[in-house]
Amino acid sequence: MATANDDEILEGFLCPICKADLKSASQLTSHFESLHSEEQDVLRSLKEIFGKAKKIILNNDDSDLKETFDRALKFSYQEHRWLDEEQVIGVSRSSTDYLKAVRSARLERYATETNKLLIRLDKLVCNMPAEPNQRKQHEQEVVPWLDGSSVKLCPNCAKAFNLTRRKHHCRLCGSILCHDCSTFLDINVARAIVDPSAPRTSQPDHEITEKNGLRLCEHCFNLIELRKQVQESRNAKTVLVTAYEQMRSLMDQARPDVAMYEKMCQSLFDGETTYNLTDVNKMRGRIGKLAEGIDLLSKQIAAFPAEPGTRQARLQTAIRHAAAHYIKEDLISLRKLPTEAQIEEVRQQRYERAEKQIQMERERMERQRQRKEEIAGPSASRVDTRQDDEDSPLLEQMNIIREYIKEARRDMKYEEVAILEANLKELKKEYHLQKLSNKS
Amino acid sequence: MNVVQAVKLYITKMTEESGPGMKVILMDKETTSIVSMVFSQSEILQKEVYLFERIDSHSKWDNMKHMKCIVFIRPTPENISLLLRELRYPKYGVYFIYFSNVISKADIKTLAECDEQETVREVQEVFADYLAVDRHLFSFNIVGCLQGRSWNAQHLQRCAQGLLALLLSVKRRAVVRYEAASEPCARLAERVRDLLRREAVLIDNNIPFNGEIPTPQLLIVDRRDDPVTPLLSQWTYQAMVHELLTINNNRVSLAHVPEVPKDMKEVVLSSEQDEFYAKNLYSNFGEIGQTMKSLMDEFQKKAKSQQKVESIADMKNFVETYPLFKKMSGTVTKHVTVVGELSACVSRHNLLEVSELEQEISSQSDHSKHLQRLKNLLTNEAVRQHDAAKLVALYALRYEKHASNALPALIEALKTRGAPEHLLKSVVNLLEYGGAHARQSDLFGLQDAVKITKRLFKGLNGVENIYTQHTPLLKDTLEDLIKGKLRENLYPTLGGEDGPYGRRPQDIIVFIVGGATYEEALCVHQINQAYPGVRVVLGGTAIHNSTSFFEEVKSAMQGVHRTHTRHIRNV
Repeated sequence: MATANDDEILEGFLCPICKADLKSASQLTSHFESLHSEEQDVLRSLKEIFGKAKKIILNNDDSDLKETFDRALKFSYQEHRWLDEEQVIGVSRSSTDYLKAVRSARLERYATETNKLLIRLDKLVCNMPAEPNQRKQHEQEVVPWLDGSSVKLCPNCAKAFNLTRRKHHCRLCGSILCHDCSTFLDINVARAIVDPSAPRTSQPDHEITEKNGLRLCEHCFNLIELRKQVQESRNAKTVLVTAYEQMRSLMDQARPDVAMYEKMCQSLFDGETTYNLTDVNKMRGRIGKLAEGIDLLSKQIAAFPAEPGTRQARLQTAIRHAAAHYIKEDLISLRKLPTEAQIEEVRQQRYERAEKQIQMERERMERQRQRKEEIAGPSASRVDTRQDDEDSPLLEQMNIIREYIKEARRDMKYEEVAILEANLKELKKEYHLQKLSNKS
Repeated sequence: MNVVQAVKLYITKMTEESGPGMKVILMDKETTSIVSMVFSQSEILQKEVYLFERIDSHSKWDNMKHMKCIVFIRPTPENISLLLRELRYPKYGVYFIYFSNVISKADIKTLAECDEQETVREVQEVFADYLAVDRHLFSFNIVGCLQGRSWNAQHLQRCAQGLLALLLSVKRRAVVRYEAASEPCARLAERVRDLLRREAVLIDNNIPFNGEIPTPQLLIVDRRDDPVTPLLSQWTYQAMVHELLTINNNRVSLAHVPEVPKDMKEVVLSSEQDEFYAKNLYSNFGEIGQTMKSLMDEFQKKAKSQQKVESIADMKNFVETYPLFKKMSGTVTKHVTVVGELSACVSRHNLLEVSELEQEISSQSDHSKHLQRLKNLLTNEAVRQHDAAKLVALYALRYEKHASNALPALIEALKTRGAPEHLLKSVVNLLEYGGAHARQSDLFGLQDAVKITKRLFKGLNGVENIYTQHTPLLKDTLEDLIKGKLRENLYPTLGGEDGPYGRRPQDIIVFIVGGATYEEALCVHQINQAYPGVRVVLGGTAIHNSTSFFEEVKSAMQGVHRTHTRHIRNV
């Protein structure tokens, strides 16, 4: 308590020298100016502080607009330098192997059973006679039926068999069950299961009965149904999937093209002669075509029939959205090409720079040569006779490379163009150097 | 230690491991928030994830066998049983399952048994089990973690798991320190230590021990030690938006604002996706207005227009007349709307005056002056009841032991101005929750000679900004920790292979039981700037504003007998 009261007197606009409480900032400053004029440092710092406080509170800060513009929109990474450490992905742990071990141990048991059932199913549906009695005989030949004389209750629902609740047999395992406990497998579906290459029949709209279906117990039905599901998911490649895959492959093609375009563009702006404007324009055209293709396919996907509100419908619109976004962000917003005149200008500048450099180089060599001559005397003025022989293979090679470049351009293989152009340049340099040295 | 990046890396890993193809991501309520905090929808779409499904939604079964399903859920019993149901009748072709925390072998076995169609391709634990609010800020979105002063068991478990996940996701082997005076902190610290021990093998295999650097520290502190910070009005952009408009999972609802454009009914404020926001998160309100004005002036220079931009209303007009500006400046438009609403709030509710007094009560000492001004403000009708209650609560905390404490009279004044019952209770609850009896630290700097001197210096330096005088207690705690001066008897250490004694930690994760605030996030940001080499990450059971903090206190004081506020008879 006492401390709380004590420190009260230590607050307010205290003069740091004489500890007088001056009530306000301006009074403190003037008090200071008049009484402690010798302490100029402190005064300056006081003024600064008040000025700063005013600035922050009143916002009368008239800094350069341009600067604020940059400051607001461009992120200065310095601010987050502590985060610059490279972050690696955190810890994770996979239990996939364990899951697979447990699962396969369990499914193996099922697999043998399912396979046995499938073999029986195959025998049943092949050459199945249409006539009921013959059919029954055929069924019993494939799967021996259990003797039902001692079975009093349905093993599934434990209800007693009687006149109205007759005994039935599962056609796949031969066990006994009542009508209520049996399920029916459409014969056409059964055919499709044993022979996946058979034409698919659409889901039957009629009810499956004893006549057009196979009576099965729940256990066998489930096993067969499971097999059917797995089969179906393997063959789930629909029109949608094909269209989608096409679209993705176009996107995959577009990605390196865009990178290449950026590179070519940059090279033009730098005044290099590796690519010419038509090359880059062609590239742009190609990306445009890809964009069109992606757009078309994604529209197709969005237009596939689907009930509104279902997952399928949502999926299709989402794909279309993603494609549109991709086209907008990555393909259409490409950098604008420079005009012919701009390129000419940049090239001119570059040429002049190069020219100057060559000039300097020449002068240097000239001087060196003179110095050499002075040292070595007239013996250096020997003429190289092999000059013509050396020239021709170089020229020949250059011509060959020019041919290659033409070809690569035609096929729009711009990576190759770049490499070949570089080669050509080197050869040209070599040639010039030789000429120079020959002259000397 | 960038927590946003950590979560992003995990999610990218999930989308990549499933290979090319159409994908759906199946999540629960919490993981949906976790993902949406770090990725925008369009970013996720580019990763071939086209559908977002909730595992607990009861929608029709569709055959979607052409899709790959990424399952990302917390390993709760409910989620696991829902997942079992999904696997028995799989909608999708294949499943890649990721749990956001540790899962038991027994659960994986049941999963394997249900997977009769062999649709599961991957089962993994990834540790993206927290909401990454900012690079250095995370939360578990739990308001009311304590009930009757002790942990709600479920929330305790959630926080412990979340902290384990956090350490694993940023690959740090940390020792746990906690505030000794706080029972909830001790409980949480022990629980985290136990979880860390249980996962010792995982940690040893994945996070190599590095003797070169000091052991990272996880410091668990209690909100009760500093009940003042969440009560204060804020003037930095992010904190201010949260206090006045409430940020929920990086989203702000503007639906109540009259004449708000349709696309602004709910705006996303994420420093990851919004450069303007990232840049101005910690700018004060005035600076932001200035920045916006300059942007518009700049644009006008280009557009050669003469339209005046003087007020927030002018700015709104401006944006409407120049669609190009909208395009150019991208998100700035959104912020013009938000700032417009903030400025309306400020003038409508006299917030400048309220905030000034709040700051003075919290960081100066002048009982009679403060009481007088407080009484005056209570008679001002423009001041919201909520703000009035906040001021009284601040007064109650600050002058709890003052000889002429006038709290009962102030509560009477609150009653006269018609403050609802629950606000009156909040004031008393708060005093019971975070009064002097509950605090370990010297919150107002009354005893410590060093702190008194510090304040003397502060008085000498003048006040830089009257609205930002207050610095949260967390700053002192963290600075002590960084300098190796945090006292072991007040903040004891649990577990860990070498004692941190005498070594100054570089990597610090500080977690506040009872919720953190954006003001503290700013403080941590400043510490990260000020101490090169030191990286601090802040977390809390929630990120509070004053409204949610009152909720938190209410829950924590439920059923607790008043022992320290019995003298206040009029509530």
